[in-house]
Amino acid sequence: MIAATTWSGWKIPDMGGISMSSHADRSGQPERRWSIRSPQAFVAGLTLVLLCVFALWLTSGLPQGTLRAMGPAMLPRWLAVGIGLCGLALIVASFARPGDGLERWSLRGPLFVLLAILAFAVTIRPFSIGPIAIPGLGLAVAGPLAIIIGGYATDEARPRELLILALTLTAFCMLLFGDLLNLPIPLFPQSLAGLFPDGWSQKAILRVTATILALVGVALLPVGRDRSRKDGATDVAGHSGGI
Amino acid sequence: MNDLLNNLSLGFSIALSLQNLGLAFLGCLVGTLIGVLPGVGPIATIAMLLPITFGFDPVGALIMLAGIYYGAQYGGSTTAILVNIPGEATSVVTTLDGHQMARQGRAGVALGIAAIGSFFAGTVATVVIAALGAPLTRLALIFGPAEYFALMVMGLVFAVVLARGSLLKAVAMILFGILLSTVGTDLETGQERMTFGLQFLSDGVDFAVLAMGMFGVAEILRNLEQTEHRDVVRQAIGRLLPNKEDFRQSAAPIVRGTIIGAILGILPGNGAVLGPFASYTVEKKLAKDPSRFGRGAIEGVAGPESANNAGAQTSFIPLLTLGIPPNAVMALMVGAMTIHGIVPGPQVMTKNPNLFWGMIASMWIGNLMLLIINLPLIGMWVRLLKVPYRLMFPAILMFCCVGIYSINSLPTDVMFIGLFGLIGYALIKFGFEPAPALLGFVLGRLMEENLRRALILSRGDLATFIDRPVSAGLLAVAAILLVLALLPSIRKGRDEVFVE
Repeated sequence: MIAATTWSGWKIPDMGGISMSSHADRSGQPERRWSIRSPQAFVAGLTLVLLCVFALWLTSGLPQGTLRAMGPAMLPRWLAVGIGLCGLALIVASFARPGDGLERWSLRGPLFVLLAILAFAVTIRPFSIGPIAIPGLGLAVAGPLAIIIGGYATDEARPRELLILALTLTAFCMLLFGDLLNLPIPLFPQSLAGLFPDGWSQKAILRVTATILALVGVALLPVGRDRSRKDGATDVAGHSGGI
Repeated sequence: MNDLLNNLSLGFSIALSLQNLGLAFLGCLVGTLIGVLPGVGPIATIAMLLPITFGFDPVGALIMLAGIYYGAQYGGSTTAILVNIPGEATSVVTTLDGHQMARQGRAGVALGIAAIGSFFAGTVATVVIAALGAPLTRLALIFGPAEYFALMVMGLVFAVVLARGSLLKAVAMILFGILLSTVGTDLETGQERMTFGLQFLSDGVDFAVLAMGMFGVAEILRNLEQTEHRDVVRQAIGRLLPNKEDFRQSAAPIVRGTIIGAILGILPGNGAVLGPFASYTVEKKLAKDPSRFGRGAIEGVAGPESANNAGAQTSFIPLLTLGIPPNAVMALMVGAMTIHGIVPGPQVMTKNPNLFWGMIASMWIGNLMLLIINLPLIGMWVRLLKVPYRLMFPAILMFCCVGIYSINSLPTDVMFIGLFGLIGYALIKFGFEPAPALLGFVLGRLMEENLRRALILSRGDLATFIDRPVSAGLLAVAAILLVLALLPSIRKGRDEVFVE
């Protein structure tokens, strides 16, 4: 039950700032008067105060107006002050009452996921920032790139598996978004279009590209399959279950 | 009464067209799929699929999106019963008794009663929406800006009270959400606020981008660091149809759950989430032998599951009648409506009766479909649950990227889901919950607009909110709720509900 509740964010209320009870008996340390007893609440409060200052600075050049004719800055400023007050209250509470410690941050997950998103964003269509210019490569390149880079966010990543997933899923997306739904999403590098005979329509090129991707993906399936199946079995409990 | 029947028959004539039937089916299927899969919620999915609906007519598009939403509620309970993981936040309670039933070899009965209860609840909720639609719409017409503002304040207070964990953090999150909604060009003065001079920010932060970042990407980041343990039941599922004794035991809980869920679902501020908890608590209190709960009591599955589905459907009421989205999914519906040029609010019913009644009728049809497609397909869903997360998340990631890119064709949108994903991840790490922020963002713009209008009408006098009886009443309810939530004794009870 506990495992289940923590899973999707329904964690047991941690009472960050304003709990009356519970954690006091847990710490068991002698009480020191001015030490931070709830690091999580302290950092959370500090973040809110910084956010408040940041928002106040951003709106500093804008007119406040009056209640009768509110200016653009009035509401954001009130909100920022409110957030700041919440932050201060959390900071005060972090000294007054014991609470949760800081959770450990993992680096690998966020790093690879963000890299994958960034890779997709800069390759999907022509992109230039300063001296760097990337030609539009379309979904045929951006898709696999995002899946393969993103896949490495976990240390269980297996290159062959990811490659198959990348190729087949990209082919599927090309057909779904480009062919079936006609969404204006760039699908393949424009330079590629020159490789096909002149008379071919965009759709025909799309279908051929998608088919090639899918076929390559499927062709990779049998390679080294036995090995991956062996260690794949440990992933899910009850794999051999009755269902 | 006659009107109601006429309207419903209009609705059914639209919902039963071949295209709309197909779209409802597709929506239910996709919804069940993402409901079954832990780690993909309806918010991220609907945001991803928004562009797909561009090509449909508005009725079909909304029918499909609605199907995804309540389909997800169905699917979530399958995972809860078979794997002891809530597929959706609303099926947390079902893990308690549902999974115990599964361990006793009664998985089929648990799934069956969940589906039957949900279907009953869905039917009742459909009738409730149809019956309440017209009167509430009339009520909305007498609402001025002050009343709208007060109603939204009440909704946000509800969201604070219903949020898990620290009240202070929930308040901060709501304010943060509203603050985010003020980014962009100020509609009245035309001045840019907090845009850093960036051109793509002058229209403000796109809701789909925010939702997908905080609920799609942040969820991936969080799941990546938890080695999840999937406790798939090994026993056979057993027969699906409950027997007479099962029905006798669960009939009353289903009815009670439906009523509780339907009432909580109407409340602005995502009351639907509380339905299953409230129903479970009530059933446990009413039971002759409360100790059976947690050990596979069928009432503990029947009641919450009905409440869950009833709430999911009645949460359409504030959106369709007042134009106020009570939760993030409904906010995405607003997005889908605006894309098709429909302004949500009381005028939908008079200007687009096809849309209004067609959608309501499709909900009932969708519930029937779910009952039929769900039970035989359970084996398939179970097989899907065995897909390891290391393969699922890159796929989700790519769908997020493709989906968000195709809404506006802006690479910056794609980058922003990464940014908001990181922010969402940080918030979770600091013990904040992203859901209230999203609701604040959703209501933020409407609130500012109505606040300004109300103050212009009253010539800058804040007393207007208290002088007008309706708005004063709504604000009083909000204030009482907040005070109640702060009382130590009640707060203890609230914590207990969430701990259970």
